[in-house]
Amino acid sequence: MISKDLVIIGGGPAGLCAARMAAEAGQSAILIDRNAKLGGQLIKQTHMFFGSEKQYAKTRGIDIAKKLLDDVGSYPELIEVWEDATVVGLYPDKVITVLKQEKYLKIQAKAIIVATGASEKVLAFENNDLPGIYGAGAVQTLMNVYGVKPGNKIIMVGSGNIGLIVSYQLMQAGVEVVSLVEASPNIGGYKVHAAKLRRYGVEINTSCTIKKAIGKEAVEKVVTIKLDENWNEIPGTEKTYEVDAICIAVGLTPLTSLLSMIGCEMKYISELGGLVPVTNKYHETSIDNIYVCGDSSGIEEASSAIVEGYLTGLIASSKLGKKHPKFAELVDDFQSQLENLRNGPFGAKIRQGLKKLGGSVDA
Amino acid sequence: MKANYVIIGAGISGCSIAYNLAAKGVKDIVVVEKDYLTSGSTGRCGAGIRQQWGTKMNCLLAKASIEFFETAQVTLEYDGDIEFKQEGYLIVAVDEEEDEQFAKNVELQKCLGIPAKKITKREAREIVPHLNTDAIVSATFCSTDGHLNPFKMNDAYYKAAKRLGVKFFFNEAVKDIIVKNKKIEKVITTNLEIETNNVVNAAGGYAKEIGTMAGVDIPVYAEKHEILVTEPIEKIQGPMVMSFGKNLYCQQVPHGSFVMGRTDPDVDHNHDIESSWKFLDEMAKTLCEMLPLVGNLRVIRQWAGSYTMSPDRQPIIGDIEDLEGFYLACGFSGHGFMFAPMTGLLLSEIILNEKPTIDISDLHVSRFKHQKEFVLEKSVV
Repeated sequence: MISKDLVIIGGGPAGLCAARMAAEAGQSAILIDRNAKLGGQLIKQTHMFFGSEKQYAKTRGIDIAKKLLDDVGSYPELIEVWEDATVVGLYPDKVITVLKQEKYLKIQAKAIIVATGASEKVLAFENNDLPGIYGAGAVQTLMNVYGVKPGNKIIMVGSGNIGLIVSYQLMQAGVEVVSLVEASPNIGGYKVHAAKLRRYGVEINTSCTIKKAIGKEAVEKVVTIKLDENWNEIPGTEKTYEVDAICIAVGLTPLTSLLSMIGCEMKYISELGGLVPVTNKYHETSIDNIYVCGDSSGIEEASSAIVEGYLTGLIASSKLGKKHPKFAELVDDFQSQLENLRNGPFGAKIRQGLKKLGGSVDA
Repeated sequence: MKANYVIIGAGISGCSIAYNLAAKGVKDIVVVEKDYLTSGSTGRCGAGIRQQWGTKMNCLLAKASIEFFETAQVTLEYDGDIEFKQEGYLIVAVDEEEDEQFAKNVELQKCLGIPAKKITKREAREIVPHLNTDAIVSATFCSTDGHLNPFKMNDAYYKAAKRLGVKFFFNEAVKDIIVKNKKIEKVITTNLEIETNNVVNAAGGYAKEIGTMAGVDIPVYAEKHEILVTEPIEKIQGPMVMSFGKNLYCQQVPHGSFVMGRTDPDVDHNHDIESSWKFLDEMAKTLCEMLPLVGNLRVIRQWAGSYTMSPDRQPIIGDIEDLEGFYLACGFSGHGFMFAPMTGLLLSEIILNEKPTIDISDLHVSRFKHQKEFVLEKSVV
């Protein structure tokens, strides 16, 4: 059994930033990630970020990842990084079980920051298990991390920012996007992204969804159908496209199974993407010294995950007795950054979700 | 609301009792359950069904229950598959003491018509080729023991009872039982007040607390037992493999997964059902010694549930001297699932003053008051 005061699970933006703040405060930690490379989703995001300079706006995700990795890498004596290590259990006595390069290890922690991110939501339709049907995250990984085209003719489902951006990236990679369908009557993401797609001739069909996929060994065709104002299918509006891939970008849901396993109080908040842990404004769950930040505490943008990570790293270290020299100042700063990020019309859903969750809306 | 009978608990026992009472024509039966169907010990159990017991009562209840399971799907008009698979239980003796005890058990089982037999290591290996026979002395085998899906079986009883007019209320925890002049008047749950003179305590791990509400002391306690399931593979093991000495049971269920469990000898007596890493460690060690091949599989999930232990590890079924209209079906000590058909039948006979199909006066709760020594069931993991 390994003993470690602080363990951070997940090396995406939230986990990396938590590790950096812990190190700045003088707190040592083990940072665990199941992938061979840290950085989470950032490493496949080739687009430039929106928002303010503080959270790396106008920088590509992949470059943000490099920056955050360098930050953590400058504290080798404090932050021990475990790559290719999957946490398989989180027990009530704060023992973490890890499968690290085929070895089963146990860590007794005092405090744990869960920054496990999210998983993609799936869509129910006939034949939705045919090869050639991907989540948008998987498509990004294939194209932007491994340089593999997911198909030649693709249909995109979902008009949130991910659906819009990935459609454009597919076109850049030489994939024909035959259509983008969106079940709701409105486009979900930024208008600027949608406009760009339209300029390149991609049709965006709102109030439309996938009826079924057709194919023997893999996807060969897809049938779409229009929806009425009550989201019911309108018979006779079916349209068939020849495609060899379907990309589903219908949102993310927090990966919280470790928090459920350890017994954190959970609430279903649809605005935050599903089941999320109840937290106080310092990102501590219902269990003492168990923290959560980033998408696993509710789906937001990577910029929020970054700030949440910083804040949580500060708080967790302070409670372990390592207080950052600029603790109060930084806590105020990060809390006001989060407030700013959640301002405006696009933050309305998150504000509503956090309000339902209780308490942390002012965080 | 008024009810003729209020049954507390919608696990396998409560649902079987409800079904049997309703099948005998009793009206106005209400089942109250604090969570949802099969949410307690039934849905957490190891899904094994066996007749190889060390006490006469347990043997008789198990044998008659298996006979019911054999035709349950038809009898209960269930449209699903209860996944009853009779491929036996192989119980291994790991020392001379167990070997001797098992010889006695098999004699008893044979006398009661149970087709169990004592076999050698070599014969055991023929039945389960990946069994490490270096770790055992001998074994017993009963080919009609086996596996049954707890969720489906519970659902079959529930649906059959519902068809016969039993009313079920879920998310209704019993808060109090009002007793006046040694007579039950009312059961109060989260949202309901049910006027009734008859209550059946089939509350599993919470049977003691339910007893306390009615002013009755039931000598049972809950203790945590842990269990895990592996990834599914093609079929390699027919029977359940069980060892009391090595503290293990392990069976490949019909969809291909292995379900296995063991007992923590230092477990506390409480309602804790949290999973532990210690169980995973100990289970893996035990399994790798006894069934090394299965040790190659990946664990999918672990969970835990409560055994409701009685002092002699035999069930408590019957009425109670101190309180008219209060009936007990509890203290199954980890085996309530496989005895459920008889629990339901026999308790309904007792409630309706019929002659019981099997004389179970030995299972009356008064045995712990009057008898100085009990017949202890040793065949328990």
